[in-house]
Amino acid sequence: MTRIGVYVCHCGLNIAGTVDVEKVAEYAKSLPNVVVAKHYTYMCSDPGQRMIQDDIKTRKLDRVVIATCSPRMHEETFRKAVGEAGLNPYLSEIVNLREHVSWPHTHEPEKATEKAKALVRMGVARVRLSEPLKKRKVSVEKNVLVVGGGIAGIQASLDLANAGFKVWLVEKAPSIGGRMAQLDKTFPTLDCSACILTPKMVDVAKHPNVTLLTNSEVVGVKGFVGNFEASILKKPRYVDESRCVGCELCTEVCPVKVPNRFNEKLDQTRAISIYSPHAVPKIAAVNSGYCLRLKTRKDVCGKCLEACEAKAIDFSQKPETIQIRVGGIILAVGSEVFDASKMYEAGYGRFPNVILNMEFERISDASGPTQGKILSPKTGQPPKNMVFIQCIGSRDKRFHEYCCRVGCMVSLKQAILAREKLGEDVNIYVCFNDLRSFGKGYEEFYRRARDMGINFVAGIPSDIRMAADGSLYFDVFERGTNKLLEMHADLVVLANGLVPSEDIKKINELFHASRSADGFLLEAHPKLRPLECSTAGIFLAGTCQGPKDVPDTVAQASGAAAKAMDLLSSGEIELEPLKAIVEKDLCSGCRVCESLCPFLAIEMKNEKEDDAEKIRAEVIEAMCQGCGLCSAACPTGAIKIQQYGNKQVLAQVDAALTETDAKGGN
Amino acid sequence: MSLVDSMSMAKPNFQARERILAKLHGRELLNCFQCMKCTSGCTALKLLELKPHEIEKLVNLSLIDELVSSDIIWTCVTCLKCVQRCPQMASPYHVIMVLRNLAVEREAKVPEAFMKAVSLVLESGLAETAQKITTRTMKVCERESLKLPKIGSPRESFQAVFLKALEEK
Repeated sequence: MTRIGVYVCHCGLNIAGTVDVEKVAEYAKSLPNVVVAKHYTYMCSDPGQRMIQDDIKTRKLDRVVIATCSPRMHEETFRKAVGEAGLNPYLSEIVNLREHVSWPHTHEPEKATEKAKALVRMGVARVRLSEPLKKRKVSVEKNVLVVGGGIAGIQASLDLANAGFKVWLVEKAPSIGGRMAQLDKTFPTLDCSACILTPKMVDVAKHPNVTLLTNSEVVGVKGFVGNFEASILKKPRYVDESRCVGCELCTEVCPVKVPNRFNEKLDQTRAISIYSPHAVPKIAAVNSGYCLRLKTRKDVCGKCLEACEAKAIDFSQKPETIQIRVGGIILAVGSEVFDASKMYEAGYGRFPNVILNMEFERISDASGPTQGKILSPKTGQPPKNMVFIQCIGSRDKRFHEYCCRVGCMVSLKQAILAREKLGEDVNIYVCFNDLRSFGKGYEEFYRRARDMGINFVAGIPSDIRMAADGSLYFDVFERGTNKLLEMHADLVVLANGLVPSEDIKKINELFHASRSADGFLLEAHPKLRPLECSTAGIFLAGTCQGPKDVPDTVAQASGAAAKAMDLLSSGEIELEPLKAIVEKDLCSGCRVCESLCPFLAIEMKNEKEDDAEKIRAEVIEAMCQGCGLCSAACPTGAIKIQQYGNKQVLAQVDAALTETDAKGGN
Repeated sequence: MSLVDSMSMAKPNFQARERILAKLHGRELLNCFQCMKCTSGCTALKLLELKPHEIEKLVNLSLIDELVSSDIIWTCVTCLKCVQRCPQMASPYHVIMVLRNLAVEREAKVPEAFMKAVSLVLESGLAETAQKITTRTMKVCERESLKLPKIGSPRESFQAVFLKALEEK
């Protein structure tokens, strides 16, 4: 005879404020097999858990229903408590009285109580048929693939490598460093970006536990948490990495000019060049889209071959694919900046003296196209009137609804740099919506900008126009003074925000990493699991998860590295037992489940039976996340999710449709 | 030119702003971030439409000339709430006082009441005429009935000293 205990949680007043918990507990006692029903202020607290454990022992309970908050919140907590009391943890059932009852029905307490009773009735009906399940253990590879060599990927790799894990760091550009390497200074301390980043770039490249693959991309991922198999495509540099000494003699003789990506295409480099002045590795690479020899596939030019004293240039290099096995993956693929030419009224692309904040970084950087002199691209002269305009492409429903989280601070920093470099006589204005200086030391930084006489105009111009002399002007309604101001500028810097990169679609498909509505990669839980992807074993770091500044990126990267260590350190992991299982005799081999499974957890296998070949579905247990898509779609009912079979679900449905309890009373 | 007020075509006067900052003995005015707390509590707002945050912003944008010749700077009743409560210590009151000084300097029109006050000081040494006294029990009475001393006249040298002090300022 099954003996069930029902425990109704008040959750302070979260549940008890709406639902009559006493009535619900009283009602539960009338349900079949229920031998004890109690209510308590906080079931999740230590005395609450102990109450359940004591009852399991003294009243010999073999099933438990806990009517409390969402199972996403405390299912694990209660399973653990039940397990500690000697009962199989999967013989407990959570009924959600908070998110499903008290919160949405605050204004109808009586109906809410009825709904709570019905849900408890359903929970009892279901738990009666629950089966004991066991977690399985699988061994894991103790190494990690880090995708993306920006500051997030570098930090995560260093943390992991220092902790003794082997790391594969894959970067698609010829050098690591990412966006941060392009910045001149960093807010709010005005540290030179290169000075704080370059040592980390060198450290990660030299670390004995790190294998650095630049000019490379992940092209395939198979396997599951703890046992991923990744294929990495190493694109040819056409330069022998072991020979090149980084002398740049080849660049000096190369006749083909190429827009310089590192300098935001503000100047030109050559078809063979080193990516940036502080590139790591400092090895030249040939741009195959521009090099005459590679473009024409003929034996032409060859000037670099003659110039290279180290004989490092090798046009016979072919792409290589490297297969690796890793236990965990950290995605640190970064983001892109908003293409401001999409916003016609902002004038970018139409007026040369309207520039983006990334372009300003390169102009302000000593290694940039102007050697750090702030010059208007139109006149080549230092500007007299500069205006920064905020929220370009961000907080704008036409483009991106979210706040870019860096634009305000970037503009403050750039305005301060401009003031320092151009002097007191230059007028500097910032047109803003809300000035968001939320981080540590940021408000003080904003004050510093005001102290330096930078003017803040509360309002965003409708459009930027060009006067006959090539200078810019626009109207802006200033809400502090209620005045329409006509502003004139010879350099306008747009604070265009961060947007999901083009590659994120590829990443989404390759790694089964879901995306949120804003297009960035989605974390497993916005508050409680912000560093993990919903696919087990994959972690997120940096701006691929959402726009963020350098301090937040570094913090998240270290967090993701710690999460990966947590997963892999013991050498084995426990897997949830709620998986799909196939009843072989019923499977017709129709492949519907295989095509639907979002985690590629179903394999079709040939089997011999009565001298005939039969094809049947098989679940790769470690990859199955128990989502149930296959079970819902299977035409023969051969595939089901443990604990969520027809038996349990139909019992629940029956209970939902029974208005009074099974004992006949009410 | 960096900006123009599109309604009045007024242009910024950067030197005037530098002068104001110099007279303020501190650059806190620049720190105003337009929380409008000063205007929320301004004693002169409801009757006289003084909006101190606007004055702060206009000075910061160097749109000063119109402000100096306007009546609005004379409406401040010097309650000093804004000085005490400004989160950035940018105290609009002090800015308004500097603007008044500028107005006198530029011989802009000064409201009659202020000129009267000056002549009263010259004559009697007091900013206001001796009024009848209202006691705590709301009784209105003469100074004498409360045995308060008579108000005397200033010393003969007062006028000369006062005028000299004004000039030095």
